[in-house]
Amino acid sequence: MKKTTAAVVGIGEVPTGKYPDRSELDAALTACRAAILDAGLGPRDIDVILPTGALASRHFNVDLVFSRLCEELGMNRSLKMNCQVMAGGATSSSILAVAEGLIAAGMARRVLCVHSDAVGSLPKQAGIDLFATTGVSEEWEAPYGHNMNAVGALATQRYMHETGTTEEELAAVCVALRKWAMLNPHAMFRTPLTVEEVMASKMVATPLRAKECNMLADGAAAFIVAAAGDARAISDSPVFVRGHGSLVTHYTLSQERDLARLGFPEAARAAYAEAGIGPEAIQLAQIYDAYPVWPLMSLDGLGLCRGARAGAFVAAGETAPGGSLPMTTNGGMLSQGHTGVGGGIAVLVEAFRQLMGKAGERQVAGLVNAVETASGGTWMDSHVTILSREAA
Amino acid sequence: MTTQTRPLPQPSAWSAPFWQAARNRSLVIQHCTACGEKIMYPRRFCPNCLSEALEFVPAKGTGEIYTLTTQMAGPPSGFEAMLPYVLAVIRLDEGVQMMSNIVGDGALGARIGDRVTVDFVAVEGSDTVLPVFRLAEGRQ
Repeated sequence: MKKTTAAVVGIGEVPTGKYPDRSELDAALTACRAAILDAGLGPRDIDVILPTGALASRHFNVDLVFSRLCEELGMNRSLKMNCQVMAGGATSSSILAVAEGLIAAGMARRVLCVHSDAVGSLPKQAGIDLFATTGVSEEWEAPYGHNMNAVGALATQRYMHETGTTEEELAAVCVALRKWAMLNPHAMFRTPLTVEEVMASKMVATPLRAKECNMLADGAAAFIVAAAGDARAISDSPVFVRGHGSLVTHYTLSQERDLARLGFPEAARAAYAEAGIGPEAIQLAQIYDAYPVWPLMSLDGLGLCRGARAGAFVAAGETAPGGSLPMTTNGGMLSQGHTGVGGGIAVLVEAFRQLMGKAGERQVAGLVNAVETASGGTWMDSHVTILSREAA
Repeated sequence: MTTQTRPLPQPSAWSAPFWQAARNRSLVIQHCTACGEKIMYPRRFCPNCLSEALEFVPAKGTGEIYTLTTQMAGPPSGFEAMLPYVLAVIRLDEGVQMMSNIVGDGALGARIGDRVTVDFVAVEGSDTVLPVFRLAEGRQ
């Protein structure tokens, strides 16, 4: 078990959806201001900003690299470093690990992590084509028509083949996420959804149907990581970063040799060991989704289904409101919306929100320990992070 | 709306022999003469031992489907007219994997584990020849 060095003390988020009139900068600043105020801090209390990468606008991405947020947030001549961290969908877990490392090394005390993007406002085909380049080899895969929905479909087929998971169980993942999203005012999709409706939606890439493919959205979120020793003086509900495990398994999906598991078993073992917290003590699973297969595969790797098959576990309602293991209570990318790199950030920020006791109508009662997962590109890496209301 | 053509491979200095072989209807993979590693797709040096002593050797052109999907809608630009098409990861009998399309008789009914054999298709309006796969005899 590792001695805890870092804690999250403030969060901010803007609603996810299609907001063509809301600029990425506006959303970023709104989320940052909310996080700083949530922590009860001022702009000059922040010593490092770690912006994520933004995909829709090259201009905004360059602004993030070149300290625009520092200036807009009133941190000129007090901020020590502005440095972009980018690992696609895995930026959430990765940026938290980088912030924790800077704090543990004594190089920072208050780190502001922020994402903002507007991939939802791209024309539909531009969105498809953009995500057909994120982890897809131009030379070895794109010429065959590879794309992000196919990534989800290829993994789903192999996972179903090896585990016996059914199409109805995949649909049940979408339904459980929707039930949580209906309680989340920041979610893009908040109308009821049934397994039958998912099964009746248009086939996109077998076996994935339209309602099993995420929708691109605009969004922004921010959080502040502080030294663990300072955390209780800043916040009365700090979230301690207890353990992290990760493994990069591939760049191109076609080189992956264990597509039904990826690196989640290895990442989970490492994270549980570092945290000194095992699967039996996890009360909330904030699982990176994007397509229904990934939560199932992650639940398997994390050992959270008490011996049941993940598909059967989810279909029985165990991860939905009222179930034994609340999962991705913001609704995930399938219901809150996929904001690019921010899909994972929203999953992570929801973990903080729940552990801080600020999740409103969807608050999980008596929560102490949660697990968060993430993966980037074509599920190139498997990240597992353990978070707790208690430090070690 | 502009019609975009499908993306074509832009060979690198070390992958050019692969695409030249494909134009000659031959599927080749790399072999490391230092450690014996078999490599696909072509690399600058051996990912096992970092030796640059790589050679291209003919593959048998046979293997099995590791996973697959039939794209029915929402394809990337340039693939609209090909719908539905079958995208697959093939595990060659040499043990290496590659992405490709399943084409020909029975392609839409192909399943994981099916045996496949390489074939070659010229992409119209280019000098690119893509290795693709057909279901082996007896599984059509």
